[in-house]
Amino acid sequence: MSYEDGSPLSFEFLDHPADIGFRAYGPSLPGLFINCACALVSLVHDVSDITSAQRIPIAAEGSDYESLLVNFLNEVLYYIDGKRLAFGDFTIQELDDVHINCIGLGEPRDNERHRSKVVVKAVTYHQLRIAREGDHWIAEVYVDI
Amino acid sequence: MPDVRLEPIDAYRYRIPRDAAAGMRTDVIVYASALLIEQIQKDQSLTQAMNVATLPGIVGPSLAMPDIHQGYGFPIGGVAATDVDYGVVSPGGVGFDINCGVRLVRSTLTEADVRPRLKDLINQIFRDVPCGTGGEGRVKVKRGEIDDALRKGARWMVENGYGDARDAEFAEAGGALDGAIPNKVSDRAKERGTPQLGTLGSGNHFLEVQYVEEVHDRRAAAAMRLEQGQVVVLIHSGSRGLGHQICTDYVALMNKVMPNYKITLPDRQLACAPTRSPEGESYLGAMAAAANFAWANRQGILHFLRGAFRRVFSEDARLELIYDVCHNIAKRETYEVDGVRREVLVHRKGATRAFPPEHREIPSDYRTIGQPVFIPGSMGTASWVLVGQQRAMQETFGSVCHGAGRLLSRTAVRKGKDARQEQRKLEASGILVRSESRDGILEELPEAYKNVDEVIEVVHQAGLAKKVARLRPMGVIKG
Repeated sequence: MSYEDGSPLSFEFLDHPADIGFRAYGPSLPGLFINCACALVSLVHDVSDITSAQRIPIAAEGSDYESLLVNFLNEVLYYIDGKRLAFGDFTIQELDDVHINCIGLGEPRDNERHRSKVVVKAVTYHQLRIAREGDHWIAEVYVDI
Repeated sequence: MPDVRLEPIDAYRYRIPRDAAAGMRTDVIVYASALLIEQIQKDQSLTQAMNVATLPGIVGPSLAMPDIHQGYGFPIGGVAATDVDYGVVSPGGVGFDINCGVRLVRSTLTEADVRPRLKDLINQIFRDVPCGTGGEGRVKVKRGEIDDALRKGARWMVENGYGDARDAEFAEAGGALDGAIPNKVSDRAKERGTPQLGTLGSGNHFLEVQYVEEVHDRRAAAAMRLEQGQVVVLIHSGSRGLGHQICTDYVALMNKVMPNYKITLPDRQLACAPTRSPEGESYLGAMAAAANFAWANRQGILHFLRGAFRRVFSEDARLELIYDVCHNIAKRETYEVDGVRREVLVHRKGATRAFPPEHREIPSDYRTIGQPVFIPGSMGTASWVLVGQQRAMQETFGSVCHGAGRLLSRTAVRKGKDARQEQRKLEASGILVRSESRDGILEELPEAYKNVDEVIEVVHQAGLAKKVARLRPMGVIKG
């Protein structure tokens, strides 16, 4: 995966009694959303070798940053689980308080190269946190597996 | 976890009074032993059970079963009934895996028959029953047929050659809930789920070959045609991507419309709408469709399992469905509450229906013993067969626990462990494990779970369900 915004640490995984979460960082809000999407992809399958053969428009709406992030990540998950796509990167075209338009760069999932790790059922609101801390953005997201 | 005011009622019951937190409309009743209540307090499950007590129109207490652990919005192992006219329906109170459940299948083989061929059998099942994590399942669904499957559930599978006529009868609700509305299921939910029909999934889903280790109630065991040493198979799976997408769609919708109904809640994952609202009714129609898909899914798995047994043991090995129960569901049921008969919507989130003897919804074979209830433990310990008892009707809206309940997080249980070594350890104790992923084995190791025997003791002693048989695993297939 590549992280074009160059943040030193993109994401890390968090513990949950039954499931799993991640904490993602970004120098900007778009950078944060991209790193959250990358964290989600890397939970589902191996991400070491993904080409950018396809460009998939991904859009979502929300009533605030929290619902926008959850709806966006669930949209990404639909393409992962429903369309069986592997995403190597994301480019955000438009992001405000209530809309996101993004392009997912990826290819059809190949069971050999993109070996499955776990089925993520959904992205949840559980202990969801999204905030600006100093000069960067941080989000904590838990998923149901 | 934050301080929670827990008042012991007796050796197996605790109460959190409704004045313990602002907004609670009712008490929380927790079913637990002294040991379990200590473990339960280590995560946020009781706070979540208190949040459930704030739901508009909740009837009776918010209930916590002894296997309760932290979930999303609702705790896992929680039961809440809401008024069908004035209450709400909460997709989070059913969960992302709608009608995740278990079915128990008896074989005509004994442990002694299977043990020498166990490795062949487990390998054959692993080949024949798709986990579905790496691709598509083997059930062929033609374009336009999926709506029929969503209406008919297990029966659709039987009609299409995936099972025996008898199979559909021996499932909760006859393997299909009335009221399924396929056009309330989004196209993307259908697209996500259809190729996964007849697959196990990952996470805590599994298929286990077991034998009856102990019989505790001879009459009930005889009615289920179970005897000591007999080989059985427990299948644990749900509605796969179809149910996950439906829950996602409706949590988003309800979050959007909640302000219109002036509902505010302490956790957005509890998002709900009045049961009688267009959104509530649409969700219940879609949820019933997902529940039916889950029964069809477990029916498909049973069909492929039969093929695997035949390939290893020839036609002598017959597999018959004992019963199939769901763990994640919302159902309209009637109970006497404070002396008045009321129709309520029972949300079971990680809980099993446990109707007592003589209940009309129990198949006639089991009418005198009570509804069969299956409680999976962990892959190294045991699972249990129980039957529902009268006190469940009086206290828990006909519900009991659904498993052992997690104790350790996935990361905590994996720490410092090697999958091959753990697999060998299980093999040395007579349990063969095959998994799509190494993490799948490590994350579901026995130490990740509470002691299932302790959990069962609580529901048995509390009079919610009665012990029938203890099952010991021999072989485990994991996604």
